[in-house]
Amino acid sequence: MKMILLRKFRVLILMVFLVACSMHIMVDLLPKLERRGGGGGGGGCSCSHAPSEEPRGWGKQVRANKHPLRILQDFSSEPGSNVSSHSLERVPGAADRAHAPRRLEHLGPRGDRKRQIAQDAAAAAAAADARLQGSRLAALYEHPLYRRSLPPLTDEDTLFNVNADIRFDPKAAEERAWTNQGTAEEVSPAGGPADESYPNWLRFHIGINRYELYSRHNPVIDALLKDLVTQKITSVAMKSGGTQLKLIMTFQNYGQALFKPMKQTREQETPPDFFYFSDFERHNAEIAAFHLDKVLDFRRVPPVAGRLVNMTKEIRDVTQDKKLWRTFFISPANNVCFYGECSYYCSTEHALCGKPDQLEGSLAAFLPDLALAKRKTWRNPWRRSYHKRKKAEWEVDPDYCEEVKQTPPYDSGTRLLNVIDMTILNFLRGNMDRHHYETFEKFGNETVIIHLDNGRGFGKHSHDEISILVPLSQCCRVRKSTHLRLQLLAKEEYKLSVLVAESMARDRLTPVLIQPHLDAMDRRLRLVLNTLSECIEKEGHSYVVEDDLQGRHGADRGHSAPRRR
Amino acid sequence: GSKLGRLFDHPLYNIQSPAPGPQETLLQEEDLVQHYRKKVSHWERRIKLYSKAAAISNITVTEHEVTFDPGASWLKFHLGINRYALYSREDAAVPQLLEDMQGMTVISADYTQDEKALKGACDCTQVVKPSGHHLKLALKMRNYAKAMFKPMRQQRDTETPEDVFYFVDFQRHNAEIAAFHLDRILDFRRVPPVAGRLVNITGEVFQVAHNEELRAVFFTSPANNSCFFAKCLYVCKTEYAVCGGPDLLEGSLSAYLPSLSIAPRISIPNPWIRSYTFTGREEWEVNPFYCDNIKKMYPYNSGDRLLNIIDMSIFDFLTSNMDRHHYEIFTKFGDEGFLLHLDNARGFGKHSLDEMSILAPLSQCCMIKRSTLLRLRLLARPEFRLSDVMRESLEGDSLRPILTEPHLSALDRRLQKVLRTVQRCVRRLGEDEVILKDFAESTRSPASAA
Repeated sequence: MKMILLRKFRVLILMVFLVACSMHIMVDLLPKLERRGGGGGGGGCSCSHAPSEEPRGWGKQVRANKHPLRILQDFSSEPGSNVSSHSLERVPGAADRAHAPRRLEHLGPRGDRKRQIAQDAAAAAAAADARLQGSRLAALYEHPLYRRSLPPLTDEDTLFNVNADIRFDPKAAEERAWTNQGTAEEVSPAGGPADESYPNWLRFHIGINRYELYSRHNPVIDALLKDLVTQKITSVAMKSGGTQLKLIMTFQNYGQALFKPMKQTREQETPPDFFYFSDFERHNAEIAAFHLDKVLDFRRVPPVAGRLVNMTKEIRDVTQDKKLWRTFFISPANNVCFYGECSYYCSTEHALCGKPDQLEGSLAAFLPDLALAKRKTWRNPWRRSYHKRKKAEWEVDPDYCEEVKQTPPYDSGTRLLNVIDMTILNFLRGNMDRHHYETFEKFGNETVIIHLDNGRGFGKHSHDEISILVPLSQCCRVRKSTHLRLQLLAKEEYKLSVLVAESMARDRLTPVLIQPHLDAMDRRLRLVLNTLSECIEKEGHSYVVEDDLQGRHGADRGHSAPRRR
Repeated sequence: GSKLGRLFDHPLYNIQSPAPGPQETLLQEEDLVQHYRKKVSHWERRIKLYSKAAAISNITVTEHEVTFDPGASWLKFHLGINRYALYSREDAAVPQLLEDMQGMTVISADYTQDEKALKGACDCTQVVKPSGHHLKLALKMRNYAKAMFKPMRQQRDTETPEDVFYFVDFQRHNAEIAAFHLDRILDFRRVPPVAGRLVNITGEVFQVAHNEELRAVFFTSPANNSCFFAKCLYVCKTEYAVCGGPDLLEGSLSAYLPSLSIAPRISIPNPWIRSYTFTGREEWEVNPFYCDNIKKMYPYNSGDRLLNIIDMSIFDFLTSNMDRHHYEIFTKFGDEGFLLHLDNARGFGKHSLDEMSILAPLSQCCMIKRSTLLRLRLLARPEFRLSDVMRESLEGDSLRPILTEPHLSALDRRLQKVLRTVQRCVRRLGEDEVILKDFAESTRSPASAA
């Protein structure tokens, strides 16, 4: 209790610090406030002047920091600044601390409860839907395997303790006036709308935790997908790094997304002579990866939606990138085309042309800025050689997994099982290009891995690349929950391809995948299950299938360390 | 019977040109044979050195002997070049040369001269890639005949996408082959002989390549096919490799002209050159009276140079080749000589579109050689229909079918458009102004035409 009082009291000091605009008034005020705060907790005090004074405070911060928009998310239009460590430095530390606790006051305790309620409501609605429309997807989510809840989340398990998010862009705050709303709600005991008035992308970021990028029935994700398709694009920049052309789009609500343009038609297959590293990135593969990941209940792919973009109004006219702008031209057929600047396929021969200026593409929601939520990039132990003639170690050593199992972080915890999950996802999509994966640094080694960059899946429907499955066939280990879900999705009434197709039907660019690709997923799923049953036959069920369904407490996560032979 | 045979029997195709005088043939036999002998001994010396070096560094190169043959078909072809054409109608050396190129053992593969001239410089920002960047190789046969190999890049039924500019388009091996046949049917005889061939890229290219840089671009694809790539275009990620299946790859082989050291040529910009940019326009594209200026300019103000340009534009229009930025002539014949129609690989890209701007020289200058016009009219008649004689002529190539039916019927449609353009000119200016007796024909006796 004392601690809370002490905190509130600090809030007040710092609030007034901002409110007061002029130095000497603040100096005058400080001792009085101290006395008042010590006296009675002064809860309502800040409200009286906050609404009117706050904008000036914000304004001050804007001036202090030349790039307010980049605070939460850096979109690196300058080449080489993918990692936006500098944006962190620009944020005045004092200002952060000043604002943070106030937001915590009305958000912190409520977040989890609210989500629980939303989840329950959504689940109920989905169930009702299922009964009404015979939706297979809704029926799937009714299945007990898809109703397991997460272990209780502590502050350590969520990416943001909400207070950190106060650094959310101040300019947007002024325009959307959610601060005013928020302060009005502060007094109300229900206090719901304050965080609902956050833009959806921010709510997506707040929802990220140790076990998932988003929760199963999260209305925010649906809203975010809708935002990706409907929000006005205010600026466009080319993404530096990476090999193929990607654009970073900024929306009216300051959300950002990664745009991958359509390069191939849906019927085109990757030519057999292409290496995995020379394949094109496909926009529909990005969309399909998100839906497949969701149907598999991994929820480790950030939301992706398809969008028809007007190349003139939504790219050329809003970009400040001269290099990008310069590559626009009109084709002999009078279509608008551009090719951008990148190391792979950015030339006139591979220009992207609209019809006459409508271009299909995928928009993947950004993860939180690296300055706020650092990510670790890990080399995939089963990385390919990326060389025309050389082979990787795992391709020649059948006992490669034994080595991996003894190497941190794969020697304990759930990391290896996560890699296996990823392997299965990659195999179902035929994605050979998984050289690295990422985790959030905050969660250490005990967290799921994020599946980014899925554009090279779904290239060949007539070919199953068995080598993608090597981690599974070499290690012979899998999560029980994953195994059960895979078995479920192999059943006729929960057929994977039908579920994924239903999930994707809501996308603007439907049909996202042609039927042969969907059929290939079912075929590959059977191959995964075959590999698993061979493993079980060879090694025994208890060795292969790691029971993650029981006794899942925060503390004994370590028990799932793979046993060594 | 054979339409093609009847066409070549037609009086129009049997006008005898006068026997070329000594100043009117390109090469003297003694000079050429001496040159050939020198090259062969030079080659043998070099191969000896190379095989020693290869033995040390453990490279396996298939060794073939060069056989010196004074009766070689390519030699005869070179000797037959004169002021009027690259070869004569009844020249037996040409069919023999086509056959040799299709079947003879390849003893060496190397980059072409224009590729070597770039010295490995790759500028990925260039929108228009220099011709040296394109994927082509120089192959040497057992009897020292040389041919330029252009591999297949595109299926025959694939059309150039509508958004692709002329300077970005693929090079097509079948266009090279078809252009040679069309040129012969039009009786221009200005394209060096081209034959199609299934090349074993491991045995006939990789294993006979003595150039380390060339050997480095060969690899085996994930589908176990042998592939190779054009270095710069691959480095710049504009083009992927071409692959055999697993080793055999279709390609066109076009016979080399005599080396520049004994028969120099010059390359002259086409007055109707395009801008080679996305937006730029050339003067001829905006000025309908452009030809009036050209007519006053040297060398177009005398002789039948301009008429030759118009012949070339008709040829390019029929093949739909927009990429004719330069033409070449043999310096020996000066301004009186014929124009070489080299590098036709960008034709036959779209069968559904007739690019009328290629015909600008004809439609703006409103003049045409009488001999050309008569032949065009002949080829428009059902008994000698252009598409039929082309189909028949292309049947002779080992890679048949060379052109798909839509491309063949496009030839007929385009021929009609050429004739209509001439008609429009005649209606405006009168026959005497438009249909001109060309220089070459005037020396022939009209009696022999009958």
